[in-house]
Amino acid sequence: MRQFLIRRLLRAIAALWGISTIVFVVMRLSGDPVPLMLPPDAPTSEIFRVRAELGLDQPLPVQYAVFLGNILRGEMGRSIHMRQPAMQIAAERLPATLELALGAFFLAVVIAVPAGLISAAKRNSLWDNLAMGLALIGQSAPTFYIGIMLILILGLELRLFPISGRGQGQWSNPADWPLMLQHIALPAVTLGAFAMASIARLTRSAVIDVMRQDFIRTARAKGLSDVVVLLQHNLKNAAIPIVTIMGLQFGTLLGGAVVTETVFSWPGIGRLAIQSIFNRDYPVVQSAVLLVAAFFVVVNFLVDLTYGWLDPRIRYG
Amino acid sequence: MPRRQSPAHWAAVTIAVLSLVLAACGPQQGAAPAKPADTKPAAEATKPAAKPTEAAKPAADKPAAAPAADAKPTAAAAAAPAGPAPAAKVTGGGQATSKAPANKRDLTVVTAADVSKFDPHLSTSVNDITVSFQIFDNLTTRDPDLNLLPQVATEWKTTGERGWEFKLRPDVKFHNGDPLTSKDVKFSIERTYDPDAKTLVATIFNGIETIDTPDDTTVVFTTKQPDPLLPARLAFYGGQILPETYFKRVGPDEFNNKPVGSGVVKFVEWVKDDRLVLDANKEYWGGAPDFDRVTFKPIPEAAPRVAALLAGEADIITKLPSDQVQRVDQSDRARSEGAFYAGLYVLAVNSKAPPLDNPKIKQALSLAIDRDAIVKSLWRGQGIVPNGPVAKGDQIGYDANRPPLEFNLDKAKTLLQEGGYKNEPIYIESTQGQLQNDRQMSEAVVEMWNKAGINAQMEIIEASVRAQKNRDKQFKGLFWSDPTSTVQDPDGMMWRLLGPGGPQDYWREPEFDRLGAEARVSLDSALRDANYKKMTDIFLEHFPWLPIVQPIESYGVAKYLNWRPNPNQLFQLRKEVLTFNR
Repeated sequence: MRQFLIRRLLRAIAALWGISTIVFVVMRLSGDPVPLMLPPDAPTSEIFRVRAELGLDQPLPVQYAVFLGNILRGEMGRSIHMRQPAMQIAAERLPATLELALGAFFLAVVIAVPAGLISAAKRNSLWDNLAMGLALIGQSAPTFYIGIMLILILGLELRLFPISGRGQGQWSNPADWPLMLQHIALPAVTLGAFAMASIARLTRSAVIDVMRQDFIRTARAKGLSDVVVLLQHNLKNAAIPIVTIMGLQFGTLLGGAVVTETVFSWPGIGRLAIQSIFNRDYPVVQSAVLLVAAFFVVVNFLVDLTYGWLDPRIRYG
Repeated sequence: MPRRQSPAHWAAVTIAVLSLVLAACGPQQGAAPAKPADTKPAAEATKPAAKPTEAAKPAADKPAAAPAADAKPTAAAAAAPAGPAPAAKVTGGGQATSKAPANKRDLTVVTAADVSKFDPHLSTSVNDITVSFQIFDNLTTRDPDLNLLPQVATEWKTTGERGWEFKLRPDVKFHNGDPLTSKDVKFSIERTYDPDAKTLVATIFNGIETIDTPDDTTVVFTTKQPDPLLPARLAFYGGQILPETYFKRVGPDEFNNKPVGSGVVKFVEWVKDDRLVLDANKEYWGGAPDFDRVTFKPIPEAAPRVAALLAGEADIITKLPSDQVQRVDQSDRARSEGAFYAGLYVLAVNSKAPPLDNPKIKQALSLAIDRDAIVKSLWRGQGIVPNGPVAKGDQIGYDANRPPLEFNLDKAKTLLQEGGYKNEPIYIESTQGQLQNDRQMSEAVVEMWNKAGINAQMEIIEASVRAQKNRDKQFKGLFWSDPTSTVQDPDGMMWRLLGPGGPQDYWREPEFDRLGAEARVSLDSALRDANYKKMTDIFLEHFPWLPIVQPIESYGVAKYLNWRPNPNQLFQLRKEVLTFNR
């Protein structure tokens, strides 16, 4: 187990280093931020001055060495656009994205797993076809389309939910919960639609696969009720692919929040990243990508750990 | 064995899924783009607003907040462009048509992007100046008709060829209670070009040699060359006045986090990309605004932004797309307001790249563009066809009698022959979404040119690539530019960009250069006006730009608000400009 942990930790560090290096190179290949910052008629001397001030006049290897040194010291430099510490800016935005991703994930799991189970149990019924039809729409409709439709129907026409923003309350204050839930509802459904559809479809097929196994027949022959067989024998044995896709989907939710955050003006890290890319704000893009990548790595690590609990035959070593 | 489903079962599933899809599509029909025929024709856009609003009236009867009658520039300052401009087109008339909800004292402004910083000398971005002009005052300002008006200054005059003397109001206080004096003005303007301050507005006032403050309410600027436009420059970015004592005490970073100005609102709280909260400055020297609190919220996507206005979550929205104007006007809750963009959308030309170095070819290119069709179809009538390089609204150099740029395919073909055009490729390096309709206009122009027998090609480039090419002057042919004048004068637009050494210096003509250089340092308005009109004649022979459209920038406004926008993006919330209809 210890060896497994060390190996995974080293892999995680390598993954983060690789990601940050790719981001460093790609951002610098994609253009110079200084002309975007200054008025179009700024003289060349002014451009040189700002470029030197930002350290962009140095050769790429020097910039890369400075960049790595900063990472080791836990500093990602200052935002070119906002002139504040980049990691601080990114970290301040992470809670909003986590809140949205967790909301979407919660909705996806709570709706998709039971939906997939029932579909599997009642194969080819009206329910199954309806649920899988909706799942198909959830998987194929673009996120921005779902978001805008929800805004137009539930926000504008029916006035059931606010159209944008995170709300001005705090989760720490229970009195604010109705307001906060109202604000998160539409973005969470939008963001979670794809994950919901994937998890529901996978749950259905995994449960159907297990249903054909001998031990299920044995359980039924023992006289166990359908519900007990489905939940205790079938679902647990079908859980490994379901948990795997949940872990992957959670990472996707963090990264995929870019579109949802833009449509709903959700002040999260995805929106920050996209704006920072437009502004060529290298330090902020690097910080945001590193943070999201770190979360992705951690979540998948936790998923790996759950395998042993779900299936005692799996050993780490 | 799976059970076979009956046809009725499949019909039920199909109906359920289809009804969900249709329900989802329903409201979008309401969001369909306005038909061009239903909107006001482009030509009508030139008519002045039917009735001037309170805000548009001369402010002499409103001494508390805006310039009093005696506050007008003195005769000696007549060279400064302070005369009335043609009224901007106002689609909504600026007037409220319904009553505001009882007790409504808060205002919500939804913008397309968030602010990035509050230090007014560190940004020229429209998102930032929209807010910084509320928090800070300038010496001068402009009303929605672009008249140059006093703000903290009460009057100004020239003193000799290179001197400008400004008298200040004695009763202006910063939000922290410090009085605003001439020393704050000197500190603020000198800071803009102080190399150590590393501002992004360093070039605006670097023509100033010295700033003297003989007393607390007098500032004397001495410029290196005669500068007829100094009062106009002071009205825009770079001209915001900072409190010297507070700034020096807290330092630039803290000042950027907690800005203190003397403007109509005070900073309260900023949650990046979520909300910016500003409280009304009840002690504002010009009178408190007609609200207690204003919240700026960024919503980058157009559809949710419009939905926020129509659902009552916003009182004003910026960047209302032209295809949503009719929808907003037909709603119960809001109307659109528009103002001519104080500049033009042009295809700038690299006149050094053959065959674009041939004036006849460029004349042919201009004649082959059906600008009227572009305005009507792509802009839904929300714009006008320009008549030259000077924007309608500029106070000097605009010739209202000059006809709009001509579309004549036959003449274009003849000129191409005369110019010896040999089917060389002509490139438009177009951005996508950097300017409204840029890609669509490029496609339309390429199509029009192909019809004229021109081998036109379009390449899409990204914003930073464009910025890089702009700096290195490496465009292959034509590229989009939205030249705007921050001083409502051709000097700040045509001359700034096309003049020798300017960012779009791809073409030179000695007489054009002589006239521009003379106008730049002349205090004689008549001479400047004549020079710019002669420069327009030369321009129309050589076409260093192909002006395409002067668009109307549209806003969505709740029906209970009296408000209309400024054409030069100088967003204003003062009580002369914005009131609730209570």
